[in-house]
Amino acid sequence: MTQRPASTVPIGLIPGPFHDRLDALSHARGWMDWAGYMSPTVLDTAEFEYFAIRNQATLFDISPMHKYRVTGPEAPAMINRVVTRDVRRIGEGRVGYALWCDEEGMLIDDGTLFRISDTEFRLCCQERMFGWLLDAADGFDVAVTDESDTVAGLSLQGPTSFSVLKDAGLDVADMKPFDLREVEPDLWISRTGFTGDLGYELWMPWEAALALWDRLWAAGGHWGLRAIGYDALHIARIEAGFMAAGMDFQPVHAALRLHRGRTPFELGFGRMVDFDKGHFNGRRALLSHRDYGARTHLVKLDIGGFKPAQDALIYHRKRREVGHVTSGVWSPTAKRNIALAELKAPFGDSKTSDLWAEIYVNEEGRWNRRMVPVTVESKPFFINDRARATPPGAF
Amino acid sequence: MSARFDVIVIGAGHNGLTAATVLARKGKRVCVVEKAAQAGGMARMTDFGGGATGPEIAHLLYNLSPAVAKDTGVAFDAQPLPTIALSPDGFHAEIRGGTLRRAEGTLHPDASAFEALDARLVRFAALLGQLSDKPPPTIAEGLASMASLRDLGGLAKLGLNLKRLGRDDMREFLRIVLSNAYDLLLDELPDGPVAGALAADAVRGAFSGPRAPGSVFTLMYRMGQGCDAAWPMGGFGAFEGAATGAGATLRCGTGVASVDVEGDRVQGVTLEDGTVLQAGAVLSSLGAEATMQLAGPAHFDIEATRRLRNMRTKGTAAKLNLVLSDVPDMPGLSDAQKAGRLIVAPSAAHVERAFDPVKYGRASDAPVIEAVMPSLTDPSLCGQGRQVLSAIVSYVPFAPEGGWTPAVRDDLTARAIDTLETYMPGLSGLIIHQTLLTPDDIAAATGAPGGHWHHGEMGIDQVLTVRPVNGLSRYAFGIGGYYLCGASAHPGGNVTGSPGRNAARRLLTDGIPA
Amino acid sequence: MTVQTYDAIIVGAGHNGLTTGCYLAKAGLKTLIVEKNDWIGGAAVSRSLHEGWTYSNCSYVCSLLRREIVRDLELPRFGLQVIPYEGGATFTRDNDYFAYMSDHNALEREIARHSPRDVDAYARFSQTVMRQCRFIRPFLLRNAPDPTSLHPRDLGELAFLVKQAHGLGAKELGETIRFWTMSIGDFLDEHFESDLIKAHLAGSGIIGTGLGVYSPGTAYVLLHHYMGDVDGAIGAWGFARGGMGAISRALGLAFEEAGGTIRTGSGLDSFRVRDGKVIGVALENGDTFDAPIVASNMDVKRTFLHHVDPADVPEDFTKAVKRFKIRGSSAKLNIALDRMPEFPAAPEGAPFLRGDLHCSTSLAELERGYDDWKDGRWSAEPYFDMLIPSQIDPTMAPPGKHMMTVFVQYAPYDLKVDGVRSGRNWNDTTRAALANCVYDKMEQAMPDIRQRIVHAEVRTPLDIESEVGLTEGNIFQGELTFDQLLFNRPVPGYSDYSTPIEGLFMVGSSSHPGGGVMAAPGANAAREILRRAGKGRAMPKVAA
Repeated sequence: MTQRPASTVPIGLIPGPFHDRLDALSHARGWMDWAGYMSPTVLDTAEFEYFAIRNQATLFDISPMHKYRVTGPEAPAMINRVVTRDVRRIGEGRVGYALWCDEEGMLIDDGTLFRISDTEFRLCCQERMFGWLLDAADGFDVAVTDESDTVAGLSLQGPTSFSVLKDAGLDVADMKPFDLREVEPDLWISRTGFTGDLGYELWMPWEAALALWDRLWAAGGHWGLRAIGYDALHIARIEAGFMAAGMDFQPVHAALRLHRGRTPFELGFGRMVDFDKGHFNGRRALLSHRDYGARTHLVKLDIGGFKPAQDALIYHRKRREVGHVTSGVWSPTAKRNIALAELKAPFGDSKTSDLWAEIYVNEEGRWNRRMVPVTVESKPFFINDRARATPPGAF
Repeated sequence: MSARFDVIVIGAGHNGLTAATVLARKGKRVCVVEKAAQAGGMARMTDFGGGATGPEIAHLLYNLSPAVAKDTGVAFDAQPLPTIALSPDGFHAEIRGGTLRRAEGTLHPDASAFEALDARLVRFAALLGQLSDKPPPTIAEGLASMASLRDLGGLAKLGLNLKRLGRDDMREFLRIVLSNAYDLLLDELPDGPVAGALAADAVRGAFSGPRAPGSVFTLMYRMGQGCDAAWPMGGFGAFEGAATGAGATLRCGTGVASVDVEGDRVQGVTLEDGTVLQAGAVLSSLGAEATMQLAGPAHFDIEATRRLRNMRTKGTAAKLNLVLSDVPDMPGLSDAQKAGRLIVAPSAAHVERAFDPVKYGRASDAPVIEAVMPSLTDPSLCGQGRQVLSAIVSYVPFAPEGGWTPAVRDDLTARAIDTLETYMPGLSGLIIHQTLLTPDDIAAATGAPGGHWHHGEMGIDQVLTVRPVNGLSRYAFGIGGYYLCGASAHPGGNVTGSPGRNAARRLLTDGIPA
Repeated sequence: MTVQTYDAIIVGAGHNGLTTGCYLAKAGLKTLIVEKNDWIGGAAVSRSLHEGWTYSNCSYVCSLLRREIVRDLELPRFGLQVIPYEGGATFTRDNDYFAYMSDHNALEREIARHSPRDVDAYARFSQTVMRQCRFIRPFLLRNAPDPTSLHPRDLGELAFLVKQAHGLGAKELGETIRFWTMSIGDFLDEHFESDLIKAHLAGSGIIGTGLGVYSPGTAYVLLHHYMGDVDGAIGAWGFARGGMGAISRALGLAFEEAGGTIRTGSGLDSFRVRDGKVIGVALENGDTFDAPIVASNMDVKRTFLHHVDPADVPEDFTKAVKRFKIRGSSAKLNIALDRMPEFPAAPEGAPFLRGDLHCSTSLAELERGYDDWKDGRWSAEPYFDMLIPSQIDPTMAPPGKHMMTVFVQYAPYDLKVDGVRSGRNWNDTTRAALANCVYDKMEQAMPDIRQRIVHAEVRTPLDIESEVGLTEGNIFQGELTFDQLLFNRPVPGYSDYSTPIEGLFMVGSSSHPGGGVMAAPGANAAREILRRAGKGRAMPKVAA
């Protein structure tokens, strides 16, 4: 018989770099598909994992994020061609939040941009961008590398996160929010996160992942370090007011109905669009959009009552449907019922009064329909000074 | 060194010159920058030495638009030439003024079928021709949806004119407009030199055989003005004369190194020698991708650069210029016929078969040729004892496998001359001088992308609203003040001047900042 | 000689004829279907030609069959079960393959194995195709608008078209125009860099058509193969349990339950026409039947060039029918296997072997295959779409044995032998030579294929024409080029299923929206027939 090929691509979900540790901690056995990797939804209890984010320190594997390195003399120019902000303003050793649009000004994705050096960036995001970045790089003296499967990422978030690092022998006391540093060879730390609280993200080679985990774990006992799944993080990110691709906006490259794409203005990020930096993708279309005005507004809502409002329709004067909740949870820290919602313009901007959410509650087999008042909020639901304190304390 | 103009036109081909003329006649200060030592682009004359001159690349005038003539004052003394479909059996056919007869003057058995088909195609071509004098229709530019009604006006008028043709013609138009020339021709005519000549006309210069859907459209495009091909007495110099006559400055010999942009507006150009020319608007008659590259991809959306990169621009026609010591013998043709447009395409099937190898990087074994001897119509081109034979040879790859080695070139030349010799016995003995321009050479000499006759395939997916590419079809080329005015813009190739005129008019409508 | 009177007679018990029959019978018309073969189904049949094995010996997989029709006619109640199949693969000459994995993550990994860049390209490609599917699907169960007509119904259809198109926006409309007019080769070249992936995807752009992968218009042909669905999964294909004949069987049972009559073994002699109106049919066996409504499930050429007196239709119409292109471009092999062949390149038990398998590894190879066909030869390196349905459907072969269906392209109808092109050049010798050529190519994937064959049915374009009645064996009853689509199909001015003969209708795939076991022409024609008979309300509202 002829020789069979050594291997074939695996079917289904595959383990990530921290899987051995996560699997050992997974009592709930709750896994989800994150870019093909087994990613925990819950390790034991979402509620306690959530409180660890707000009260202690937590580890969350962010390795399934897509990571692309752009290197070369024209890297700043090439990235500036892609994103709406001016990356020349992101200094070396700094991280910036960025959005990028298609030619019609519709958001493709958002993510974080790490300026490793003058000529070297790393872009981290949810959507696959390799082909897009290669297309963007055409004609520029840069190299684009897909590091999604070679660079592991671990998010350490929570008030005691600084203390965990310190006890693990990693000195980041002087790192300000959005700072980035190679603290040890091949270990990069950025003071970034998705929780609105004090926190860090650690970046290392795939094969160095478990050793780092063990090092942090050993240092974290006193600080209540806990591994968490996505469900807990989901609550924290809504509290912090962060939008998620595919939930709060439709990444336009994945949209069949192209008009379902959204501009940065419609998502509340007009300030992230720099029309003065020169051309960038979608600039001409975005100028028209700026003049034409937003079609919708993504807003933060305080929802009346105590029942989470996920997917609820929003009405004006209880009659006219003007939008829907894109993410809605009960905030255990703010003790409020909170949500992100997309409202048709001008609702959410110039018209914010007399808005109602229609919530269906299943009470032991009987559906109850409730109309509850909603309030548009301008600030995140979770704000804490320790997120910015430098040096951070042992909060 | 620097100088200031209202408008800079890149490339002094017929479209660049037409654009310059239209603008200069409106009082704009225009500078035309040409890389070559001489203006004319694809439509230029060349001196072969020894007292023989002739058209270097394009050698016939098909459809100079009346609108172009009106807006530029360009006028040619155009001598219509009969088309001679050469037949290997010596029974050649002559097409003149929409009629078909045997070369010796007797009735051609397919005359009535041909004439009915030709008349219908000319009617349809005239209809499509109306679209050539305007920017291509679109439903909307960006969010300005109110403008869409006006933009649809051109289409609505086409629809109305289509209705006026009557229901049968309208149905026939809608049936054939996207179909292939091969089936259309052979539904009406037996396969032979006449069908072959029409099939060859449908695909000359194209990366396409007559069986490819879309070839009826290109055939109609060629028939746009409904007239025979013509030789412009004295050559194509009228474009240059009109531009300079209208006051445009012509700078030959130095190409443009970059188009300078600031604040999403063009500021002018920098030449290869470092000279800076300032202007509020820049029109480029180069290929679409080259036009993008001159300003730099950073000024374009990523989708736009991707589309421009994907534009199909693989040229398939080579040019063979022969200086002869005498008029070759052409059995079966009268003197007037010898001066005609001679087509070697024994059948539509032959043309299709000739196309096959070029798909895999090889030239046709039996090439399809359009030859003309302009010196017979225009004796002033040559001195005593000299004649020029100008031949377009299809199909020839842009980049043959293994490259354009001397052996490959010689082989192609020999094959083309052998093919002509079938109809011109003794031809090779008359050759004093020969020049072969491969698509690669044409690209190098004129900047035509891929050496493509039309600066880009005229497939249905690359014409009208999506020419050169979707989103950049109405001359304005992304950056404020930047315009595409060459054959890669609507309506496309051939010596028409239409893209140049339309682009210039679009600029005039948009206005030129001081 | 018998004379019987019906409300409607349908000639040909293909899936479209049966579909029309079902709708007419359910609307209360006394309906007769006559069929020349001793079995029903046309090209959607399951036949047992070697004991123990069942062949779907013409059409072989199902996707396009409109779900609205399946539901209207309650076909599952009559035994129709459509099971989606998994993935597929293209095998290379060097013991590798590209597998179209049904698992999304695995598919991305597999694409990345060949080209990391193409993972994103594939996402972009699928989005475009899905967007085009969304655009076209609403048109399938509607009449094609006639732009030359001022009739309110045509204007209404035209308005629907304009509305759908305008809804796309300017840029997307531009992309749509390009998609509909470009070649599948150019479309794939714009997206992908891997030749193998391009070759794998290109097959859908040429199956059943006399065009090459670089012929403009083949991107639409790809769409034609993607616009179906299995249970809402757009673009998915499946097997009908028991073979494609299960579809015809279910339609036949539904028709008979609704009161219809089927007469097999009853070839048509001619349509009977008096004063420009159809009055019935005359069969080859001498039987005649009367009916004021007669529908032809045959293709437009067979209908008008073989069974209608030319004096009964305008000359222009006949001319238009003659120039309608129905070109034979494919052959079919149905093979009984003594066991599952070895696929040395594939991992043991690879799920993608349950899908469509190919051996064409580049667009250039596919295009060369087309060049051969243009010259009257079958492709020296033929493309094939090969499946082994018995892995999923145990009813197709005895335990442990397998049944394989191989759709082969290109094979000309008018084969050239010694410089002469003619359908008569197909004989046992040329048929065997074609099969050998295909086996040679199949060995690329399955070196032991020749040892596995217990029985093989080789069907040339001529064979398909002779048995099924499809002109030149063309699976779509007419090329899917723009000059033969929508309002141009089959003849400009007659896209509404009517003909110049009053009461005679075209219900086969020669009519809009074309072929591929979709049943849409049959349903649309039924709607038109009932409307003209004043029974429009009897037609279920099938359009979405």
